[in-house]
Amino acid sequence: MKRRILSTASVLAVGALALTSCAGAAGTADDGGAEGRTPLTVSVWNYEGTPEFAALFDAYEAANPDIDIQPVDILADNYAEKVTTMLAGGDDTDVLTMKNVIDYSRFANRGQLEDISDVVADLPGDELAGLDAFELDGAYYAAPYRQDFWLLYYNKDLFDAAGVDYPEDMTWEEYEQVAEKIAAETDADGTYQHVWRSLVHSTAAAQSGGDLIGGDYGFLKDRYETALNLQDAGASLAWSTATSQQTGYGSMFETEKAAMVPMGTWYIAALLKAQNDGVADFDWGLAAMPQLESGGEVTTFGSPTSFAVNGNAAHSQEAREFIAWAAGEEGAAAIAEIGVVPALRTDAITEAYFGIDGMPGDDGSAAAFSPDVSALEMPVSELSSDVDQILTEEHQLIMSGEKSVDAGIADMEKRVKNEVLD
Amino acid sequence: MSGLVKETSVPRTADSRAPEGGGFDAPAPMRRVPAKEVRQRRGDRITYAVLCVLVVLLMVPFIWMVSSSLKHDNQVFTVPIQWIPEEFVWSNYADIWERIPMLGYVQNSLYLAVIITCLQVLTGSLAAYGFAKVRFPGRDWLFLGYIATIAVPWQAYMVPQYIMMQRMELTNTFWSLILLQAFGAFGVFLMRQYYMTIPDELCEAARIDGLSEYGIWARVILPLSKPALATLALLTFVNTWNDYMGPFIYLTSNRLWTVQLGLRSFVGQFDAEFAMIMTGSVISVVPILIIFLIGQKHFIEGIATSGMKG
Amino acid sequence: MNTSSIEAGPLAAAAAEPAARPAAGGGRPAGNRRQARRNTLIGWSFILPNFLGFLAFTLIPVIAAFGLAFMHWNSFSTPRWVGLENFRTMFASETFWIALRNTVVYTIGHVPLTLALALGLALLVNRKLKGIGLFRVAIFFPYITSLVAVAVVWNMLFNPESGPINQFLMWIGISDPPGWTSSTTWAMPAVIITSVWRDMGYYMVLYLAGLQAIPRELYEAAEVDGASAWQRFWNVTLPGLRPTTFFVVVMLTVASFKVFDLIVVMTEGGPGRSTTVLSQLIYREGILQGEFGYSSAISLVLFLLVLGVTVVQFRIQQRRER
Repeated sequence: MKRRILSTASVLAVGALALTSCAGAAGTADDGGAEGRTPLTVSVWNYEGTPEFAALFDAYEAANPDIDIQPVDILADNYAEKVTTMLAGGDDTDVLTMKNVIDYSRFANRGQLEDISDVVADLPGDELAGLDAFELDGAYYAAPYRQDFWLLYYNKDLFDAAGVDYPEDMTWEEYEQVAEKIAAETDADGTYQHVWRSLVHSTAAAQSGGDLIGGDYGFLKDRYETALNLQDAGASLAWSTATSQQTGYGSMFETEKAAMVPMGTWYIAALLKAQNDGVADFDWGLAAMPQLESGGEVTTFGSPTSFAVNGNAAHSQEAREFIAWAAGEEGAAAIAEIGVVPALRTDAITEAYFGIDGMPGDDGSAAAFSPDVSALEMPVSELSSDVDQILTEEHQLIMSGEKSVDAGIADMEKRVKNEVLD
Repeated sequence: MSGLVKETSVPRTADSRAPEGGGFDAPAPMRRVPAKEVRQRRGDRITYAVLCVLVVLLMVPFIWMVSSSLKHDNQVFTVPIQWIPEEFVWSNYADIWERIPMLGYVQNSLYLAVIITCLQVLTGSLAAYGFAKVRFPGRDWLFLGYIATIAVPWQAYMVPQYIMMQRMELTNTFWSLILLQAFGAFGVFLMRQYYMTIPDELCEAARIDGLSEYGIWARVILPLSKPALATLALLTFVNTWNDYMGPFIYLTSNRLWTVQLGLRSFVGQFDAEFAMIMTGSVISVVPILIIFLIGQKHFIEGIATSGMKG
Repeated sequence: MNTSSIEAGPLAAAAAEPAARPAAGGGRPAGNRRQARRNTLIGWSFILPNFLGFLAFTLIPVIAAFGLAFMHWNSFSTPRWVGLENFRTMFASETFWIALRNTVVYTIGHVPLTLALALGLALLVNRKLKGIGLFRVAIFFPYITSLVAVAVVWNMLFNPESGPINQFLMWIGISDPPGWTSSTTWAMPAVIITSVWRDMGYYMVLYLAGLQAIPRELYEAAEVDGASAWQRFWNVTLPGLRPTTFFVVVMLTVASFKVFDLIVVMTEGGPGRSTTVLSQLIYREGILQGEFGYSSAISLVLFLLVLGVTVVQFRIQQRRER
């Protein structure tokens, strides 16, 4: 009887082997060699869910019929880990997409990327937002093709219900007052401050000129006070609750639980989609991030996404050509069309961007789209990721009320100096 | 304190084992007295009551999963938690098959889980016999080496492992995962511990009857270890089915992806479609449920029904 | 103890219980060399299919990883020998000690609770009742529920102000209930409670298999002797479960020392570093930062720690046998 079970099991196993024979059942087989075209492999995250890649690749293939771009699809979660592992195994994917500047710092400092300074030299540097950030000891190892920056999303209906003027050129004090007023007048929270450290840290660094890897963090104090005041006054969701419940900023805004949400420009596409699908139904607008003073320059921060050439690339020359194209005019036009903010900022591209169906048409929103300064979320250096870890840990302690602002900042300074800078 | 056990540690036949033995109120033997029956019935009722309360406590997160799978994305993570969706989005369960090649992912997962489970059970129970019932020099040190590797976190050696697989050109094939997961120490350890409880007198008797060691393994030991085999198969299946990091590191082509990878493809750079993820998670529990319900019968019936002659 | 304890060392001897039984094939007096050689061949022939795979795909990479502990390697360059430098860095790092302490605290909390509950549940559902299969599935459910769902729901239950747990605590008169996952003191207990809840069904399944191996006549004999339910449990069930318990304790301890997934999803090691554990450091330093040598050094320490604890468990087990 037991033997029968065993033999059934082995028959099953062999059958299953024969059935799929290691081919994989999901989708069609990869197209092998496209006749005569040079294959160019590009590592991407979430190819299906991130339309900018297909937009770029299709446009590039149309312009360069001799190139066949083959995306190497990696999940967005743990993208960097998989790329690290692949590279350790000697992988020869040509182009590596850098998800954020911290990843870029890691890969570049480990010597895994090719120096592409000559490619960057030919790019229109002045118009390419965030390009300077990629310089490491005088050389460039990646070029940005996309740069999202932070602005303020607001719900016009809730502002009207509370009888508050639409935000425009706000200071942080005004932001707090408006949030508290709306919280008092309506069922919604005045604002939703997402749990990420960058909302406090990178804003403060950009607007007051602080250095996030410098070891002195006094400049963070005011923004912490803003965040804590808001949650103490009940004008924003408590940080602890938001973290532990994994609250989505999209949920907060789209279900009208919060009247304002400071967030990156990447959210525009998702918001438009939610409205199209009928799961979010209200009038919204864009405003600049609150500033230290009114009437001055508008300063915000952004996170560029970039392409780099693998040090082991099989087709290094083709990879460079692709990067130059993607960071330039044509690449920018290809992604602006589908609602993604390109690194290259020209009037024509902004116009194309606001031409998308469903974008708010008011002047304020368009103005919010052209900040004067868009600093980098985190400076690029070999220390970035270590400092990031410490700042994140201390940030949690301040926001959950375990440490006072002053004590938390003092500990950040102490730990960064002891554990990283020494 | 274990005198009782030693005293009665005589060769016993499979049929003599208690299917339901071991509870606080162990089953009544043949001669039942009415008072006892009453007590037992009351005991059953209490057991049911305790179990029902437990089930509620245990199922709450799963209920949240089901509820979230019937929502729109932006209603999943609301504060406070909304247990009953405002609007039941049944279409999630229809859409998911089109949004991602879910059927193909299920097939891939099944394929991997079945093969790995079969290999693990087969090689594990074989090796366990060597460790438990055959004595030879160096055996126990070898076994110690087996257990010791369990103590090393996978994160520590996954890169050396990957480099090896890359050199053998096995990355991005199912082979990599099958080879990595089918020969684990877990199955060997589990089966060995179970074999330890099977009296050696049984093997000895079979040997006198002229059975070879392989014959003893196949005709004496295996039939007696059904509960352990069922347990090993179930746990291996579940762990393979739910594994994320292994397939993530080794399988790059979308064609090869498993369910757990497919579900993560709803996570984007800045946000995620959690309603879809929960829909997929609910679906991916179904095969495990089926396996469990089939397998759990052996926790009771296994030994009682497998008669041993001689 | 029988002879195997002498030739095999303390660990395996304790595992080889119930000790009083002679192992098969070894029934004849040792010294019969041909018999011994034959046994070696037979033994290896059973072990080989698994061992080859195990050697090639687990043992060799593990040894390679341990070698890296004495080198500097960023996954790209050629590894460079640095001796004990990685260990010096590690012992000087505050985060390492915090993670070590957290890992130990987690293990101390997680192992006994899970063990007791898994055994209790196994006894509870190890009987023939209508629909008992469904209850067994239900107890196994936490293990197969998506981790995200587990984290979100338990965090909701633990919410300091509105969570039902604290509301209950206040109702029974505790005026200042813990802050659970948003407090550095209480985050670890919260994680332990959640993980015990999640894992007990898994280990219950192992116990269920073990319970089947206890002969029925032992219970009958005990009953004839007039043993109470408690005495039957203590004198029949527990000793009969010893090989299973040993397996469960070892697996549970190892798994606790290696805990990773649940913590990452539930607290990400926070707030601050209050729930950061060693596996997280290994992961972060290795695969994220590319400090593979340093990361391997931490793994080696974790490995030795687990091995040490396991040896102690064997010893305790051994003493009980006497």
